[in-house]
Amino acid sequence: MILKESTIKEIKTRMVRYPSRRSAILPALTAAYRQVGHLNNAVYKEISRVIEIPYVEIAEAATFYTMFPKHEVGKYLIQVCHNISCSLRGADNMLLYLQEKLGIKMGETTPDNLFTLISVECLGGCSAAPMMQINQDYYEDLTREKIDNILADLRAKADEEGK
Amino acid sequence: MAQELVFFKYIDDPNQHKIDTYIEHGGYQAIQKVLKDFKPPDVIAKVKESGVRGRGGAGFPAGLKWSFVPQNTGKPIYLACNGDESEPGTCKDRVIMENDPHMLIEGIMICCYAINAHHAFIYIRGEFAFPAARVEGAVNEAYAKGYLGKNIFNSGFDLDVVVHTGGGAYICGEETALLSSLEGSRGNSRIRPPFPAVSGLYKCPTVINNVETLSSLPSIFNNGIEWYRSHGTEKSPGTKIFSLSGNVNKPGNYEVDLGTPLSYVINELGGGMQDGHKLKAIIPGGSSTPLLMPDQIDTPLDYESMAAAGSMLGSGAIIVIDERCCMVWALMKLINFYAHESCGRCTPCREGTAWLKQLINRIENGEGQQGDIELILDACDNIIGRTICPLGDAAVMPTRSFIKHFRDEFEYHIEHKTCKVKTDYPFV
Amino acid sequence: MSDNGKEKEQITLTIDGQSVTVDKGTTVLEAAGQIGIHIPTFCWHPKLDSIGACRMCLVAVEKFPKPAVACATEVMPDMIVKTNTDDIVKARRGVLEFLLLNHPLDCPTCDKGGECDLQDNVFHFGIDKSRQTFTRHRVIDEDTHTTFDDKRIGPEVIRNMNRCVTCYKCVRFNKEIAGEYDLGAYERGNHTVIDAPPGEQIDNFYSGNVVEICPVGALTNTDWRYKVRNWVAKKADSVCSHDADGQNITLWYDQRQLWRTTSRRNDAVDEGWLCNIARYGYQYINSPDRLKQPLIKKEGKQVPASWDEAIDLIARRFKEIKEKKGSVCLAGLLGGNQSVETAYLFNKFFRNKLKTNNLDYRLEYIDLKGSDENESYNCLYRAQFKIADLEKADVVLVFASNFIKDHPSVNLRLRKAYRKFGTQVYTVNPVETKSADISIDEMVYAPDMETAFVAGMIHAIIDNKLYKNIDAAKASEIKSKLTPESLAEAARMCGIEENRFVALAKKLAEAKYPFILAGDYLMASTKRHRTANGLYNIANLLGIPDTNAAILASQANSLGADRVGVRPNLSPNLTKTLEEKWGEAVPESAGSNTSQIFKNILDEEIDAVFVLGANPAMRYPDGPFVNSALDKLDFLVVADLFETATSLKADVVLPLAGWSEQSGAFVNLEGRYQRFDKALPSGPGIKTGIDIINAIADAMELPLGLNTAELTKEAKDIVDGFVRIPRDVNKFFEVRQAQIPEHQEYPYRLMIGNDLHHFGYVTEHCPSLMRFTPEPYLEISPNLAERLGIENDTLVRVESTTGKLVLKAKLSEHFEGEVLFIPNNFAATEVNSLISREGGGWVKIEKLDDK
Ligand SMILES: Cc1cc2nc3c(=O)[nH]c(=O)nc-3n(C[C@H](O)[C@H](O)[C@H](O)COP(=O)(O)O)c2cc1C
Ligand code: SF4
Ligand code: FES
Repeated sequence: MILKESTIKEIKTRMVRYPSRRSAILPALTAAYRQVGHLNNAVYKEISRVIEIPYVEIAEAATFYTMFPKHEVGKYLIQVCHNISCSLRGADNMLLYLQEKLGIKMGETTPDNLFTLISVECLGGCSAAPMMQINQDYYEDLTREKIDNILADLRAKADEEGK
Repeated sequence: MAQELVFFKYIDDPNQHKIDTYIEHGGYQAIQKVLKDFKPPDVIAKVKESGVRGRGGAGFPAGLKWSFVPQNTGKPIYLACNGDESEPGTCKDRVIMENDPHMLIEGIMICCYAINAHHAFIYIRGEFAFPAARVEGAVNEAYAKGYLGKNIFNSGFDLDVVVHTGGGAYICGEETALLSSLEGSRGNSRIRPPFPAVSGLYKCPTVINNVETLSSLPSIFNNGIEWYRSHGTEKSPGTKIFSLSGNVNKPGNYEVDLGTPLSYVINELGGGMQDGHKLKAIIPGGSSTPLLMPDQIDTPLDYESMAAAGSMLGSGAIIVIDERCCMVWALMKLINFYAHESCGRCTPCREGTAWLKQLINRIENGEGQQGDIELILDACDNIIGRTICPLGDAAVMPTRSFIKHFRDEFEYHIEHKTCKVKTDYPFV
Repeated sequence: MSDNGKEKEQITLTIDGQSVTVDKGTTVLEAAGQIGIHIPTFCWHPKLDSIGACRMCLVAVEKFPKPAVACATEVMPDMIVKTNTDDIVKARRGVLEFLLLNHPLDCPTCDKGGECDLQDNVFHFGIDKSRQTFTRHRVIDEDTHTTFDDKRIGPEVIRNMNRCVTCYKCVRFNKEIAGEYDLGAYERGNHTVIDAPPGEQIDNFYSGNVVEICPVGALTNTDWRYKVRNWVAKKADSVCSHDADGQNITLWYDQRQLWRTTSRRNDAVDEGWLCNIARYGYQYINSPDRLKQPLIKKEGKQVPASWDEAIDLIARRFKEIKEKKGSVCLAGLLGGNQSVETAYLFNKFFRNKLKTNNLDYRLEYIDLKGSDENESYNCLYRAQFKIADLEKADVVLVFASNFIKDHPSVNLRLRKAYRKFGTQVYTVNPVETKSADISIDEMVYAPDMETAFVAGMIHAIIDNKLYKNIDAAKASEIKSKLTPESLAEAARMCGIEENRFVALAKKLAEAKYPFILAGDYLMASTKRHRTANGLYNIANLLGIPDTNAAILASQANSLGADRVGVRPNLSPNLTKTLEEKWGEAVPESAGSNTSQIFKNILDEEIDAVFVLGANPAMRYPDGPFVNSALDKLDFLVVADLFETATSLKADVVLPLAGWSEQSGAFVNLEGRYQRFDKALPSGPGIKTGIDIINAIADAMELPLGLNTAELTKEAKDIVDGFVRIPRDVNKFFEVRQAQIPEHQEYPYRLMIGNDLHHFGYVTEHCPSLMRFTPEPYLEISPNLAERLGIENDTLVRVESTTGKLVLKAKLSEHFEGEVLFIPNNFAATEVNSLISREGGGWVKIEKLDDK
């Protein structure tokens, strides 16, 4: 089993709030993603068993939604908005800066498996551009300095947990 | 022009998201009044009277929409609150959900009572983990206080509210796609008729309203119709939140009366153009709305005036573009988005947006060919009005508008294989 | 309950200037069709819910702001529709251009060429030059320049994603109609792909349909792929030669062989959907293993012989036996998928010429003692059930039948009734089945307890006063003739809670138009007659319409053979008809049914048997019994397409033509007479059953004197003239659960029957079907398997009092109980050797370590 008891429990508590079990597919995918960090066929299979919906339905839904990575990513998934509002405030150059800081290209993961860098469509942070999302959290009104600190903090945090 | 804030009255209070603070500020009065003094049809009548219009983009009168819901079909009636907020430039609903979630919940209660729904779903885009957590927290608080659940305020009215988060799909903001997604399917939009009001969620009558629309209900019942109509214009009453982004000094979410001149928002509230750069164009209502040009900067921000000016109020996302921007590059950013977000259900949108993306990218990349512009415009003709849902139109409208106003830049690009204005917004 | 039958409101509208009046609820597309206006489509299908996705069917409707999709727009009064304005034509050309953007245009090598909607529409709208100047690939994305090509996504289905027009028909069919979940659409937008679930295959029983409804060449099957161009192939209207549903098909062939089967939509029967057996089950006709010349046994060896030799020998021996020992010493067994004409001639030959009543077509278990004319059984078996009536059903009980397997078309109709009209379904079986998902309650009775179950139902009906048109006295009399004596007892024996009996009884009693349909598990059961008695009572107690309580026939022409009298006992009416036609009386001598024939052979009362298109040695569910009989037999003639367990015992073997090699008719389980045309004729050394019977008769100087036309007519007249004795609503039978043989050492009940993808003994010769199920197996419930440490492919020894077999285990997707299943479709494994009347099919199993 990939899914933890707690995850399964969360899925089940959410499931009963809907008139139809099927509606639990997205909540289940979300819960699974938050636990595992990405989704894959094995996860779909387990979800299918938990909510008793055919495997194919889970896979069809999961692959429709782009928010869930479908393969392993670093501990911190950095998603940079590259849409218009952020671009007008330097998102493109910010991406270059991040690549340079992390020493990786778009879509790559740092050797220490800490960071994966991707760019995404508008995240609804337009009035605080440029911005990015790292795992669940938003970071807005970004500057080079802010980015330096954010990355430093996350590294520190990772070390903490590492110990 | 002094603004009486509705949404942002207490927005700066760090505790406004907590139920007690909300109550201190007069929260949950409106719903009690409604439950006590109104029959559901009267609520619908009042909302019609108020003239409040949908804030999700289409601007459809809320009361009218509710009145389409067939009662006594024997089927349950549902409310789906649309908090998908994915139209580039738009980030207003998020503020409400983060800072004043109970206002939304109270609005939902009013709507549900009016349409006879006992089950409401708040569909929040998946990336909005924090806002969703805030709303869910608020929902739990409301349950704890007995404001949600059975026999609310001893009125005999029952209501359950469920927070549902998406998985990263702009299309799920489209009402029928939202329903598909809520049902657990792929977020494909569906053909209408049947309209959701008649056959929506689980084939039951369903109302879909935007977060801001619903959130404006408590103030209407607290302060009355006259007060509400004293804001905004005859046809576009009330206030609205505008998400100001792009090349201005003070981007942000600003609430103003409908009918307020665009220039006021950009120059007064937004502190004018970023570092004094020259205004080039404005996307006034979210990425899918046609451009306004500098000489239209005084256009009043209401549905009619915007339409008259050749654009739309849309979701109220004002994206300000300055002289440093290459419009081909800007359009590329938009079209890449729409191609990425097409659900893939119908041919013109699925294939068309992808083709537009190819064509516009190749122009931007200096590989444009003679005739590409005409080809793009013709492809647009084959997409707009031919698709299941308006996403196809949403991709076509800016494309046409950008080419209409800046054709020279596109031609230059094809001629010289490079931008007329080299875009390079700094990141400091 | 569906609104079928009710008068529909009429609506008049104008399409392209023509006025048309149609039912309310009709779509503009269908309305246009009714006046011959063709609107092009891709994603529309008459039997699927419209999704308006392809946008090819756009039409202009007056007062509508923009074009509407004809496929999903319902007609409205005084609507004015235009289907060919410049705007609409532009829109359609636009759709086609979009669809062609990344289409490979590999029409020359595409199997769909010539019957492709995309090709036809492009041709029609004349899109000559492409404005697409990018490299073609399905996915337009800088980083994934993929063309999904030639992916086998199932045993038969191959997918070329780059040809897909994303109409979703395949996926919609699979989920909506078949209720199967082994095909899906993944990713989104322009990346959308159609595929089996990740890591799995599309191998469901109806999967062939997705290939047929794909409007382009995105889904093809290995069966037809790269073999023939459809426009050079010849076509013959035909009917499936296997199960009794009678799916209507078109056979595609050329001078070499048969190439494929497509559906020939008949809304009364199949609605245009075929099961894989109907679709791929023709292939045995092409088999290189076909018998090509007669064989005669000399010194215990079968050696090739000429037709004349063979026929003369048969004639001589039949004559001898008839004269020396008498007609009663001759017998005939006819396969259930021979044509009505063959069946009738077979009957005439035996009765009218050989003067014996020893003939039968039922090679399943038939009562040894009681005659085969069990009143209740035959009444239900001959009920005039109509498949389409299921759409009016409110409650349906499927009893003792793996429905999808036994009756593919009826199963789909039941699913439709469930999906569209809210029909409530109950299933009662010895094992869990695939109908579970549409069943309100799926009950599984303990092995061999089917009679106990129906007895229990009768108790439930009477205890709860649910019976109609009888009084309490009568009720208690009926109740007194039941074993087990009480519902409680029945519940205990079946292992099904009492309240579930009662719930079902109530539902059936309340229903306006209920059905009880029984299938092969009942037919193959030694208790078939006792159980039929119970069903008959239930139908009467609840006033279930005569046509709606039925035991469904199992083979393509079972009912045809039944109608024309290929059985020892005839109804007075049929006797009369035959005597008129033959101008003389039918023999008085009591005839023997299948089981009695074998018994009489053992008792040396029958010396010669003529088996035509049947293989009892392999299929009769009491191996030791049938084989000892056939071995003992003095003279055995077998006519068949292949060497079989039975033919190997024969003194004379005759190569038989297949159904597609002649024209004829089958009578399906509804009693529907359906003709099939001759496709490719058989090879030189092969004869049709009709020619064989005539040849033998002539050689015996007993000519049957019917030319083809006369034969066809007489056979049809008899089928048409069939009168059924309706169910006697005042009649009630006693219902007694039989004792189950002691079987302590043999704890598990073995079921045998058809594998999902096989039927009878010929489908081993269908390569496509062999791709679905290549070999026999022991199906076992996961829990039992786990207890015995058995996994998929573990070798297991299955042993009964009469024999043993070693098979690979297959963990069942449905079974839960202590029941085992082995398909009896594979010649190499003589499954029926494990089953005997005494042993009752109880076995023990043992895991063999070497995997
Ligand atoms: C492609 C597309 C995306 C949309 N996205 C949103 C959205 O993110 N939020 C929203 O409230 N409405 C969105 N809408 C509008 C909804 O379909 C719907 O009209 C609205 O939610 C109705 O609520 P309202 O009447 O209160 O505005 C979208 C529409 C389209 C065509
Ligand atoms: S594979 Fe064929 S049937 Fe399936 S979606 Fe593609 S074109 Fe339609
Ligand atoms: S046939 Fe109507 S949209 Fe496809």
